[in-house]
This record gives sequence, C-alpha cells and structure tokens, in this order.
Amino acid sequence: MAAKKKRTPNTHNDSWVVIAADSAVETQKHDCDPDFVKLRNPSTDEASLYMLSAGDVQLYEVKAFEEDFHSWFVGQTVQRDGKLLFVTRMDPLYLILPYMIKSGQEGKFQPVDQVVKDDEFPASSRLLSCTRSLTSLHHIAEGKEVGSLKFHRYSQERTLNWLQKKVERTIVALKKKHICVGEGVKSTTYVRVKTESDNQEEDYLRYAHGLISEYISEELSKALLKHLGLPELKSAKETEPPSKKRKLSDKPVEAGEDYTKFNSGDFARKPPKKMTAAQKTLAKVDKSGMKPMSSFFSPKTKAEKK
Amino acid sequence: MDLKQFEADNSGSCRLASRIPDVCRTEDCCLGVDEAGRGPVLGPMVYGICFCPVSKKEELKDLKVADSKTLNEAERENLFQKLDEAQSYVGWALQILSPNMISTSMLQRTKYNLNALSHDTAICLIQYALDSGVQLKEVYVDTVGPAEKYEKKLSQLFPGIQVTVRPKADSLFPVVSAASICAKVARDRVVKGWNFAEDLGEIDTDYGSGYPNDPKTKEWLLKYLDPVFGYPQFVRFSWSTAQTLMDSKAAPVHWDDDEEDGEKAAQQQNNRSMLSYFSASAEGDRAQQTHRFFSERRLKSLKSL
Amino acid sequence: MFLVKRRRQLAETVHVYISCYIWETEGRMSCNASVTRLHLSSLKRAEKVPVHLMPCEIEHNGLAQVSQYFTATTKEKKKEKTVSFRGRGLKGQEISCPQGYTGLVLKEVDRHGSDQEDRTVKVTSVFDKLTYWNLETPPTSDDTVVMAMDWPELAEAIHGTVED
Repeated sequence: MAAKKKRTPNTHNDSWVVIAADSAVETQKHDCDPDFVKLRNPSTDEASLYMLSAGDVQLYEVKAFEEDFHSWFVGQTVQRDGKLLFVTRMDPLYLILPYMIKSGQEGKFQPVDQVVKDDEFPASSRLLSCTRSLTSLHHIAEGKEVGSLKFHRYSQERTLNWLQKKVERTIVALKKKHICVGEGVKSTTYVRVKTESDNQEEDYLRYAHGLISEYISEELSKALLKHLGLPELKSAKETEPPSKKRKLSDKPVEAGEDYTKFNSGDFARKPPKKMTAAQKTLAKVDKSGMKPMSSFFSPKTKAEKK
Repeated sequence: MDLKQFEADNSGSCRLASRIPDVCRTEDCCLGVDEAGRGPVLGPMVYGICFCPVSKKEELKDLKVADSKTLNEAERENLFQKLDEAQSYVGWALQILSPNMISTSMLQRTKYNLNALSHDTAICLIQYALDSGVQLKEVYVDTVGPAEKYEKKLSQLFPGIQVTVRPKADSLFPVVSAASICAKVARDRVVKGWNFAEDLGEIDTDYGSGYPNDPKTKEWLLKYLDPVFGYPQFVRFSWSTAQTLMDSKAAPVHWDDDEEDGEKAAQQQNNRSMLSYFSASAEGDRAQQTHRFFSERRLKSLKSL
Repeated sequence: MFLVKRRRQLAETVHVYISCYIWETEGRMSCNASVTRLHLSSLKRAEKVPVHLMPCEIEHNGLAQVSQYFTATTKEKKKEKTVSFRGRGLKGQEISCPQGYTGLVLKEVDRHGSDQEDRTVKVTSVFDKLTYWNLETPPTSDDTVVMAMDWPELAEAIHGTVED
C-alpha cells in the first residue's frame, strides 16, 4: 500500500462550528452586534477568548471541544478544522473579581470603573456594562455611597459565601446530569486521607469546588476549600498537587511534576481507542481465530517495527 | 439466480442459494468451492459452492462444465442454464462480498486480510450446506494460499469429510468447475447491472474487466475520482491501484490509526494532548491542570478565534 | 512581594510585545486589544444545513459532494447509522443541540487587505442537530462529543445568578 502522506499544518482556518446560547445571538433587541474579545482569564492570568453580547449586556465564555483527527461536513462543504466551539453564558463577576482583589489590597473603597481597568486587555472595562455586573457586586465587595457616587471594597467573606452558593448550585446540576464525580480517575496520583466509602457527598463537593476553581485564582481556590470544610488532598509524589499558578510558584517552570507519568497513567484508564503495538500485532495476525499458532510466526505477518 | 436481495443493498454481504435437491439430503454428496473476482479493483468478490450426489458425478461431467476462465460470458451463462435445469440433483449457493465490505474489512483497525476473508466465506458456505442437510462426504476446493495448510485447516473443521484442496481445482474437478461458473455468472451480472448507491446521475459503465491493468478500467478510475470522497462504493478502496490514485489526486485524509499519522504520531500526540490537559498554554511552559470535567470532555479555553 | 509583582508585570509586557510581533509578521493582528465582531444580520439569511463530525482529518476546505456520496449511501437501523468514507466503516448517531442553544457556522469576512486589526465573522449556516461518526465503534453515551454536550447545562449552574 502506498505510503501515507504526512499531515500538513492547518494554518489558514477561517470558519468555525459553534453551539451558542440563543441569548448570545438574539437579533431583535439591539441594533449592534456581539463581539469576541480577549480578557484576562482569572485562573491562568492569561488571555482567553470570551464574547460580549450586543450592547455588552451579557458575557459569554468560549470553550472548544477538540479531538485530534476530526473534520466537519457542513452542508456541501468540508471544513478541515474539527473543533466544536461552545458559547455559554458566563458570570462577569468571575472576571471582575481579580481586579477587585488586587485593589482590595490597598484597603480603600474605590470606584469600580477605576478598578476594572487593564491596559493589556482594553475590553475589560466593558465588563461593567453587563447587566449583572453592578447589580451583583455586593456578592464580592462592600459598597459605600457618597452622594451619587458609589465606591466598593473587596470582601473575601462575601466572596467566599457567594462562591459557596455557586458550589451548591453546581452540585445540584452535577447530580441532575448524573455526572460521575468519583475519585477513581485520580486515585493513582492522589492519596486520599479518608476511606472510599460514604464519601459521595464529599466527592460532589470536591468536584464542584474543582469546577469553580477554574474561574478563580489558586489562593482563592484554597481559601474556598477551607471555607467548605474540605481538607487539602495530598499528592502521592509531592506534598502539593501540581502547582497551578505561576503567581505562587517561584520555581522554574520546568521543575516539578513528571507529566509523562501522568499521561501514561491517565491513558491506561481510558478505553483504548488506539491499540497498543502488541494488540495490533495480534489483531493483524489472525482475524478468523482459526489459524494455527504457527501463523503468528509466518513471514506474511508484517512485523511490528520497533 | 435472483440478485434483487443484493441489489437492494450492495454495501454488505449477501447469500443466494438454489433449492436443496431432495436427493442431496439422502445420498452421499460431493461439493466444490471456488471464487470469482478476487483480483479486480471494481465490483464484488463472489464465492460459490456447488454440490451433487457422488453417484451423479459422471452426469455432472457430461454437462461439460469446464473451468470458467476458459469460457466466455455467453458460454458461462449457457452452462449455468444447464446447471439450473439439473436442479433435481445439483444445488448451489453463493456469497457475494460487496466491494464496500471488502474495503472496510481490509482497512479495518484490526486488519482483515483477503485470505482470511476468503477462508471464512468458504467455511461459512460449507457449513450452510451441512446445516441444510446435505450429506457431505467429499469437498473440493480451489486453493487460496498454500494448499496443504488450507486443506489441514478445513479437514480439522469438518471431521468426517474428505477435503481436497488443490491449485486449479476448477479444471480438475467438475463440481468445482460448476461452483466456479455459478460464482462467475453472479459476479458478471452484478458488475454489469451495478446499482450505484451514490447520487451521481448517469454513470459510464464501460469499466472494462475491472482488473487494474486494463486500460479501460484505469481510464474509468481516473474519470470517477472525487477529490474528497475518492470513489463510489463500487471501487475497492483497499486496492493499491485505488490508493495510489487517491494519494496523487485526492485530498489527504488522516485517521488516528494511520501508520504514520497515528501510531508514531499518536505517542507524540498523546503526550501533547495529555499535556494540554495539564497546561493551558500550548507552549507548555507552565503547568496548568484543567479540571477533569473538561479534560474528559476534550474541552478547553481558547486564546483566539 | 512587590518585587515579585514587578517582575510579573515586566514579564507580561515582554510577553505581549513578543506576541504582537509574531502575529503581525504573520499578517494577522491578534493583540489582546483586537475584537472579532459577529455580524448578526447574516443570521437571518443563513440556511439550515446538515452537519457531520467526521472521525478523520480531511485536508480540504471547501466544496464537496456530501449529499451525493455520503448522505446517499448512509444506512440507518434503529437510530444507529452506518456509512463508509474512503473505504473505512463508520458508525454514527444524530445528537441535538442542547435546549436553548443554536448551532452556527461562522466564517471570517474577507478584510480586502485592510490593515484594520479588528476582524469580522458572519453566520453562513445554522443547525439544530449534528451527526457524529466513530471509526467502526458503535456510538454510545460515553463518546466524548456526547459528554461535551453536558457543558452548557453545567455552565448555567456555574454562571447563573446567585440569590441573596
């Protein structure tokens, strides 16, 4: 059989398959259009893609479902890029929170429009136009009014209570969707302090905490863990789970975990879609299951290259 | 020979059979196995069995069935007619393996080679005869692969039956010739009246013998090459002729189990994609572990559109 | 602490500078400041189309005779669909977009060589269900794309308004 062609990089992609919340693409209400913008991801502190609906009324998050070796047929066309984007509603408070925390370090009440400012991400100030932003600021900050002017100061206590409610809501959704929250997947990398039985509620709590932690800084994630009464998990290899934030880590970036070990471990638990070399050799040799053993060694069987 | 069943769905495998002659259920019988259309890049491969009482061997010989390859199409049709007229003591059965079934089997993740496919089909047909009550005592087979090994395999599978596997069995044993004629006639008819499942309008059916070295076949393969889909299901994609043409003229397609893209790349790929679960940045300069809700669902944040 | 912060800011500045530089040399401005506008007016004109998620990468962008070759040869038995592509057997099933969600296909509007850094995309097609295909394995609820469809509902829980 002819040699397989090497993959060429897909450099000029100009179309995307998207599943978007209806509210994000409502056409009636406004005569302006939604924008894809880059904002500071509160968890990674780096740029991530978001969407602001027409008139900046609502914030949306953009996530991509992406697996290798996929393409689309769209009507009578092929789209090589096989990603599926999800545009889902996002709470703007998560993105406002890091700015509030930063300014809160000074301990002063400040006007939010001066707090939520980021030269690197000019679109940040548009977050304050979202309907929910100003009306829900009290979840993360204390407010003061002087005349017609409003000032705010970050409150960790309020924030943790707010996040706890988020966690509780998330647990309800996890249960409703029957999402598997057991610790099985993590059991080889983490050592649990408690035994596996009667831990289901804790599993949900921990899982939901993990999800919410995708939207907050590591410091806050740890504080929330404590607030929820959950002990920190210990890594089997190190005393800390793989360090998540560069903010906290003053170690050089290469140091720390050996991710190849993670990889193989994780893959062993996934249903093996890709066969191992050994499986493949076996499969190639005999499909009918009726060949004598000698055929395993027959020259016709293509030897697996080492 | 009613091909309607196969023509209704020519993407899979289909068995056609004559009525079982009563005498075959009471008397010791011999049975021949042969195939038609192993080599062509187009159309199905047909496996055939033909059987009759051992006592009627001479009568079968008198029908002058000879190796189907030495006959032209009209002669084969004529001989098939004669076999049909001898239905009081001659029975037959066919297994039509569609080109789509051949392609998808040979190109399967767990590759299913043509010899294994042939052997399994022959075995199925012999079993069919047994299940139908035919008193089999002798089986003659035109070989696929080394005759000795195949003969041993069949003898073990069908104890109590005298199995003879020979190269060119179709010219040595009339019952194999008869099987060969049945198979070839079916293959010719199916190819001639191929019902294209694709919606391609009027299709030129001047595709020659279907053998890769036939200029007409080559011309047809060039004419009906689609840059995305390759070919209609009439073509065996697993044939190197088809592969080579697609490699040079159609869009490259990569699967996760491709030798080069997949296996070798898979490891790198796995490493990369697994790493990406742990690191938000593609550069991998920073370890960021994504919650398993997202990694299990292959969901990740984007940096730009 | 202050030093660490300074260093971080410095690192970010350098990072931004480098990123912009690279993007610019590729002829595509993708600074954090750039915005991609979604032209909603195109939504009304967008046609509903069948979409298929294929288990292979096809090095092609553009027209293809999908209905003639693919749809015409697709077989369906009890919700499970079968077809073949390039001689390989596929099994698939149709899944709907989550409730309250719409499928859109976006395409970048040509910028006619303008040096404007903001981009524009328009909706070229819409869909409310999609068919995904596995290579040989029957579709199940454990397939990653089926699981990914959990996300919108969970996102609503994570991002919905919290009562006081």
